[in-house]
Amino acid sequence: MSALAFLMRNPVTAIVLTIAAYAVALALHRRWRWVPPLVAACIPLMALLVVAHVPFAEYNRGGALLSWWLGPATVGLAVPMFRHGRALRSSLGRLALMVLAGSVVGMASAWLTASLLGAPHAVAMAAVPKSVTTPIAVEVSRELGGVPEITIALVLLAGILGASFGVPILRLAGVRDDRAIGVAIGASSHGVGTASLVRRSEMQASVSSWAMAASGVFTSLLAALLKLLMH
Amino acid sequence: MLDFLRGVALLVGFNMAGVGVHRLGVPLPSGVLGLLFLFLALSLGVVKLDWVEGAAMLLLRHMVLLFVPLTVGLIAVWSVVQHQALALTASLVVSFVAVLLVTGLLGKAMLRERFEDEPGEVKQ
Repeated sequence: MSALAFLMRNPVTAIVLTIAAYAVALALHRRWRWVPPLVAACIPLMALLVVAHVPFAEYNRGGALLSWWLGPATVGLAVPMFRHGRALRSSLGRLALMVLAGSVVGMASAWLTASLLGAPHAVAMAAVPKSVTTPIAVEVSRELGGVPEITIALVLLAGILGASFGVPILRLAGVRDDRAIGVAIGASSHGVGTASLVRRSEMQASVSSWAMAASGVFTSLLAALLKLLMH
Repeated sequence: MLDFLRGVALLVGFNMAGVGVHRLGVPLPSGVLGLLFLFLALSLGVVKLDWVEGAAMLLLRHMVLLFVPLTVGLIAVWSVVQHQALALTASLVVSFVAVLLVTGLLGKAMLRERFEDEPGEVKQ
């Protein structure tokens, strides 16, 4: 066992290294906006594990303590949902219906496409919750028997797609209403897409953060239903 | 500082309530159950928004840090990702465009006609 692998046995080492990598990634992201913080934080850590022959399980003794906080972070989504829900009260029913339709279509099309191209069950199920915010997507993926690590990669990529091409595609389709844009971006590309709207319009961003929380809730309800049907 | 810790304690507490109810057999993720309980508590006024706002916003702002260990775990499943690269990419793109267009076009149809005069609507 290498010296680093030995150090990694202590969960504190993994936590400190992860926070350090995140801080550096954030600094890089502030300097060059196109650097995605998650990717920039993970690459040096992955390289370290591979080069020093540290098994992932050793690193994850500390890593799991950080991942645990995704639970309370999910609970925290109630705050934007409540705050923006109050402001959007008059059209909330219609917005909820749109998000629900988006969730059904997103889950079904992800599963269908992956399955038709020969993906095994655990991979196709990992794609099902890819439109929703990571902490919820991970739990939904686990519930359905998917590989959570693959889900995270897909969630991140869906966010990047939404932030880069979401608004242009909607424009091509003739969607111009601020609330419709917000709902579509929030439902298709969660927090990453939402963040890209903040500079554009406050209305778009606030509908989007509401839609992101709502689509997380709807997707997990639909997944629970799906799980009941599968048994 | 104490206010902030109260917020953290509430979020952890609601999360634990979610874990408990999930264990009882409710098939929703425990975090989502906690979210729903907190949303209910906020709606009923049992919990005040400013008790949890600071802690929730901090966790949400730095949520990327919390995904890092799971993402690093991709190295443990890398061979699966390589073998399924085509299926995963196609599924991602098809489903992304489908969700975006279904919600966006529904929004265009449902919001424009009936809510022309609502504040917040951008007149083109």
